[in-house]
Amino acid sequence: MKDEMDNVPPVRVRSEDAVASIHRRRVLQGVGALAASALLNPLARAQAGRFDGKQLVYVSWGGVYQDFQKKSYCDPFAKETGARIIQDGPVNEAKIRSMVAAGGNPDWNVIDVTDTFLFNGTAHNLFEKLDFSIVNKSMVEPAYVTDYGIGTCAWSYNVAYNTKAFGVGKGPKTWADLFDVKRFPGKRMFRNRVYATLEIALLADGVEPSKLYPLDVNRALKKLDTIKDHITWWTTPSQSQQLIVDGAVSCGVIQNGRAYDASRKGAPIAIEWAQNLQSVDYLVILKGTKNLDVAMHLVNRSIQPDAQAMFSNNTAYSPVNPAAFSRIDKAISPWLATQKDNVAKGVILNAAWWQDKLEALDASWNAWRLS
Amino acid sequence: MAAVVRLMRRSDWLGVPAVLLVLGMFAWPVVSFLAKSVTDPHVGLQNFVSVATDSVYAKVLSNTVVISATTTIFTLLLGYPVAYTIARASGRRRRLMIFVVLIPFWTSLLVRTFSWMILLQPHGVINSLLLASGLIEHPLELIFNRTGLFIAMVQMQLPFLIFPLFNVLSKIDDAYMRASANLGASPFTTFWRVYFPLSMPGIVAGSMLVFVTSLGYFVTPALLGGLRDMMVAQLIDEQVADIGTWGVPAALSVILLCGTAMIFLIIKRATGATRKGARR
Repeated sequence: MKDEMDNVPPVRVRSEDAVASIHRRRVLQGVGALAASALLNPLARAQAGRFDGKQLVYVSWGGVYQDFQKKSYCDPFAKETGARIIQDGPVNEAKIRSMVAAGGNPDWNVIDVTDTFLFNGTAHNLFEKLDFSIVNKSMVEPAYVTDYGIGTCAWSYNVAYNTKAFGVGKGPKTWADLFDVKRFPGKRMFRNRVYATLEIALLADGVEPSKLYPLDVNRALKKLDTIKDHITWWTTPSQSQQLIVDGAVSCGVIQNGRAYDASRKGAPIAIEWAQNLQSVDYLVILKGTKNLDVAMHLVNRSIQPDAQAMFSNNTAYSPVNPAAFSRIDKAISPWLATQKDNVAKGVILNAAWWQDKLEALDASWNAWRLS
Repeated sequence: MAAVVRLMRRSDWLGVPAVLLVLGMFAWPVVSFLAKSVTDPHVGLQNFVSVATDSVYAKVLSNTVVISATTTIFTLLLGYPVAYTIARASGRRRRLMIFVVLIPFWTSLLVRTFSWMILLQPHGVINSLLLASGLIEHPLELIFNRTGLFIAMVQMQLPFLIFPLFNVLSKIDDAYMRASANLGASPFTTFWRVYFPLSMPGIVAGSMLVFVTSLGYFVTPALLGGLRDMMVAQLIDEQVADIGTWGVPAALSVILLCGTAMIFLIIKRATGATRKGARR
C-alpha cells in the first residue's frame, strides 16, 4: 500500500491555490482506492504481468481530459497487467480513416471518439466489434452501449456567460436568452459545426424538447439568421474557453467540463443547466488492432467504478457507470451533466438520428454560413 | 530504363535516395488520393459534376482565390521596400535584417495564429493600447473577419516574398542606375523604367510562392477568419474528417492543382515577355 502511494508523481502545490491541493488529495484517494482494489481483488492479482511486453496506443483529445484518462484508466491497467500504454493524439478522424484504409496493424488502437463519429465510423467499418465476454457492458448505462463502442464519459453543452459582463445570476439562462441581443448585449459564441447548433436554435425558437427530432432545418437556420452577425464561432474547445475568459464574448455555448476547468482556474464564468444538451464520448478499438484482447481489457478497465470516479472528480465529465456516483466529490457533483437535477433539465442529442443525415445537413450548413 | 541509366552521369546517382523518398512517400500517396476524384464512390465524373453544380463549392473556391490574391498584393506592397532595403544594405546591417525576417520561420504556424488572436481580439493588446491612448472609443473589429485574416496571413507570408525578391535585387548591377541618372533620368524614372523591370523575376517568383502557399491555408482562416471566409482546405478537411467522403475533396484538390498550374504558366508566359521587353 505504501509503495503504491510513493509512486504518485509529485503534484506541485501553490499555497495560494487551494484547488491544487484538493486535486492532489483526489489523485491520492483515487490511487489509494486502486491500490486497495488491486490488493483485495484476487482477479486483479491473477492478472499481474499477463500482458507483459504487449503494447497499445491510446488516443484522445489532449489536455486535462487525456491526462486524467491516462491516470484513471491506462496507468492502473498498465500496472495491473504489465501492458505498455502509449498516449497519442489529438483524435483526428481523417487520420483514423487513412489508417484503416491502409490496412494492417493501425498506429492507433483504443480511441476516444464523439458520438457522431462512432456512428459514422461504424457505418464505414472502422472499428472492431466489442467482445462483451471481456467488456462487462452491464456496468454501463444501457443507452451508452453499442456493438462497436462503449461510453466513456457523458457531458453537455451549456449556456455560459462572463460574470463580469452580467453579474452572477444575471446572465442569460436559456438558449432563447442567447438569441436576445437587447437584454444580453455583446458577442456570443457558438461552435462552428452544424451538429448541436441546429438543436440549440430550435430549442431557442420554442420547439418542445420531445418534438425536437426530426429537426426542422430551415426553421433552425432562420433563427440563427437573427443573430448571425453577433456570433463569434469557435473551432476548438480550448478556443471557447479563451473567448469567454478574455471577455471577447459575453456569453455563448460551452462544454460543461471546459467551463469547470475555467472556473477552477478562477475565471469569471458561470453556466446554466436549462435545456443542457447531453452527449457521450465513446471508446472504440480501431480495425486491425493486433493486441485485440489487451485492447478489450483496457476498455473494460476504463468502465470500472474507481476509474470512472477518479476521472470525473478531476474533470467534471460524468461517469457512464452508475456505480461510480457514490464516489463523486460533493464539490464536483453540481458540474456533472448526469447529476440528477441536470439530467432532468437536459435534452439528449440524438446522434443516431444524425448518422445518415450529416452529409446533407453539413451541405445546408455550409450554404448558410457562406450566404 | 537502360537508356535512362546510360544518360545519368556518375554524380547523378547521389540524388537517387531523395528521388525514391519523394516518389514513395509523397508522389504515390498524392496521386492515389487525386485518383479518388474519378473513382470514389464509383468510376465516373460525378464528383466534378457536384463541384460544378453546387454553389457552395464555387463560393469556397472563389473565396480561396480572392483571399490568396489579396494576401499576395499586400505582401508585395509591404515586402518590396523591405527586400529593397536589405539589398541596398551590406555587412552586419544586412545580416541583422535577414535574421529578423527569418525569425517567424522558427515558430509554428499554429503558435503564430494564436499569438495574433491575443493581439487582435476585442480586449487584446492592440485594442487596449488604442483605447488607452484615446484614439478610439470602441474596440475595433480586428478578428473573426477578413481584416484579421489578412493581417495574419500577410505577416506569415512575408518571408516567402522577401527572400526570392532580395535574391534578385541584390544581383542588380548599380551601373544601370548610374547610367540612367547620367543620361538625365529622375530618380523616379530610374526606379520605374530601369530598376523595377529588372526586379520583375523576383516579384514573380516571390508572388507565385506567396499565392500558391496561401491557397492551402487552413488553420489561420479557421481561427482568425469570419464565418463566411471558408477556404478550400477547410472544406476538404471537413469532408474527409467529419463525413468520410474522399471523392469530392479529391476533385477539389485536382481543381486547385490544375488551377495553380495554369496560373503559373500564364504568369510565366506573360513575364517572360516583359523580361524580353526590359532587355530590349
